[in-house]
Amino acid sequence: MFVSQSMTRKVITVSRQTPLVEAQALMQQHGIRHLPVVSAQNLLEGIITDRDIRSAFPYQTAKGESSRQEQERFAGMKVADVMTSDPITISPTHTLQDALLMIQESRVGAFPVVDQDRKLKGIISVRDLLRAFINVMGIGQPGTLLCVLVDDKVGQLKRIVDAITEEGISFGSVLVARYWEKDKRAVFPYLLTNNVIRVKKKLQAMGFTLLDPMKWYLDQLPKSDE
Amino acid sequence: MKKTGFLFDQRFLLHDTGPYHPERSERLSAIYQGIRDAGLMSHVSVMPAVLTDMKWVLDIHTQEYVRRFEELCLAGRRTLDSEDNQMSRDTWEAAQLAVGGVLEAARGIMAGDIDNAFCAVRPPGHHAESGEAMGFCYFNNVAIAARYFQKEWGVERVGIIDFDVHHGNGTQHVFEDDPTVYYYSIHQHPSFAYPGTGREFEMGSGRGYGFTKNSPVLPGQGDDEYRRLIEKDLLPAFRSFMPQVIILSTGFDAHQDDEMADMRVTTEGFAWIMRTMMALAETCSSGRLLSVLEGGYALERLPELGAGHVKILLDGE
Repeated sequence: MFVSQSMTRKVITVSRQTPLVEAQALMQQHGIRHLPVVSAQNLLEGIITDRDIRSAFPYQTAKGESSRQEQERFAGMKVADVMTSDPITISPTHTLQDALLMIQESRVGAFPVVDQDRKLKGIISVRDLLRAFINVMGIGQPGTLLCVLVDDKVGQLKRIVDAITEEGISFGSVLVARYWEKDKRAVFPYLLTNNVIRVKKKLQAMGFTLLDPMKWYLDQLPKSDE
Repeated sequence: MKKTGFLFDQRFLLHDTGPYHPERSERLSAIYQGIRDAGLMSHVSVMPAVLTDMKWVLDIHTQEYVRRFEELCLAGRRTLDSEDNQMSRDTWEAAQLAVGGVLEAARGIMAGDIDNAFCAVRPPGHHAESGEAMGFCYFNNVAIAARYFQKEWGVERVGIIDFDVHHGNGTQHVFEDDPTVYYYSIHQHPSFAYPGTGREFEMGSGRGYGFTKNSPVLPGQGDDEYRRLIEKDLLPAFRSFMPQVIILSTGFDAHQDDEMADMRVTTEGFAWIMRTMMALAETCSSGRLLSVLEGGYALERLPELGAGHVKILLDGE
C-alpha cells in the first residue's frame, strides 16, 4: 500500500514561465486540477491549482466583460506569479494511509510525489486514493454487504469469518466501524455471492445481530471533533 | 380476455443446485401449483420448452463461454465461474430449454398466436454476462430474446423492464451502447444488495447513452416507493422511447416475505406493477409483452405471486 503503486505516473507539468492561460487550458484539456511546476531537470518548484488560477482571474474576465487592460494583464501572467512554491509533498515510499491522513490534515487535494532529490515522480490525488479505496472495499466485484453487530472484544471477527468461510463464500473485504454504540462494533463483511440467506440465518443462530441496512454507518465521531 | 402463453416444462426442475441453494426447483413447482390452483390452466396456452438454436445464444454469449459451460457441466463439475452457480449434469440442457422456450413464446407473440406470455423458466438469466455465469444465471434469456425480436422479426425498438430485486447487470451490459434496446431496472440499492451495480448514474454509453435507466431503492421501502419511481422514471421514458415489444425480467424477490433482500413490496404491490406494465404495453407495444422469470425465493408466497401475475396477463388490466 505504497504511494508509488497508486499514484499517477504520467504527470502533466508546467514550468515557472508557462503563461497562466496555457496552464488553464492544460487543466481543462486533461480534466485535472493540479499541475506540478518543474525545472528543466524535473525538480519540483511548486504546484498550481485551478483555484490559484481562478483567484488570479478577475470575475469580469471570466465573463468576457473586462477591460482590454485587464485582459492584457492576465495574458501576461506566468505560472510563477500565482503558484504555491513550497507545496506539501509526499515520497513514493509513503503509504496510502499516510496520504489519507495528510489529505485530511492539510485539506489539500493532491500531493506531488518526489524522491530525496526533489525529482518529480508522480502525483497522488484524492481521485487516486478513491480508486485505491474502491479496490480495498472490493466493490468492483459483484457481492452483497452484511452488517453484523458484535461486542467489542477479542475473537468476534474470527467467529464471523469462520462461519462465512465454512459456507464456501469468498470475501471482497471486511470493514470494521469502531465508533459504534458503547462496547459494540459493527463488522461489514462484503461477500462475493448473491446467496446470503443461509449465512445470514447461521450468523443469527450464533447470537449475532444483523443490523437493518438503513441504520448502517461507518463513522460516528464525537461531535466535538468537528 | 387476452391470449396468454404459459411456458412451463418439467425439465426445468432437473437443474439441481444442491440441498441448500435458494434458486431451487421448488420455486417453479410453487408457481405452477399457484397458477393451477387458481384455475388458470384452462385459460392459458401451456407451452412446453424446446431446445434453442444455438445461434441465438451466440448472439449474446461468447463461443468460449458457451463451450466452457457445456464442457464443465457435462463433465460433472458442480459450479461454473462462482460458488453461486451450482450445476448438475442437466443444467446445460435446462439452460438451452429455457432460452428455446422463451424464444418460442416470443415467436408466438410476433406471429399473433398469443398476445403475451409468462415464461416460468430455470435457470434465470439477467445476471449472466456475455462471457461469465453470475448470480445463479447461465444464459441471459431476456437479452437473447431482445436480439431475436430484432433479427428474426425486424423489431426496431425493444424495451426491457427488470423488476427483480437485484440489478440485471448482464442485460444492462449487453445493451449499454445500443440505442435500440432500452433497459430499465428497479432494484434494491447496490450498496446493500447483489451485484453492486445499477446506480442512477449508469445511463448507458456512447450511442446508447440515455437508453439505460436505473432506479435503486433503499432497504425497507415498499409499494409506495416502487410506485413513485416507476411513475417518475419508467413511464415517461418508455412513452417517449415507444418500444414495439416489452420484455419483463420478472422477479418476485422484492416481496416483503422474501429473505433474499430487504424490500417490502406486497402481493398487491406486485399486482399494481403488473397492471402498470400491461397498460404501458397497450400504450407502446400493441400489448406485446413477454414476461420471463428471474428470481423470487419465498416458496410460501410464489403460488399467489405467480397466479396474480398470470391473471393480470389474461385480464389485460
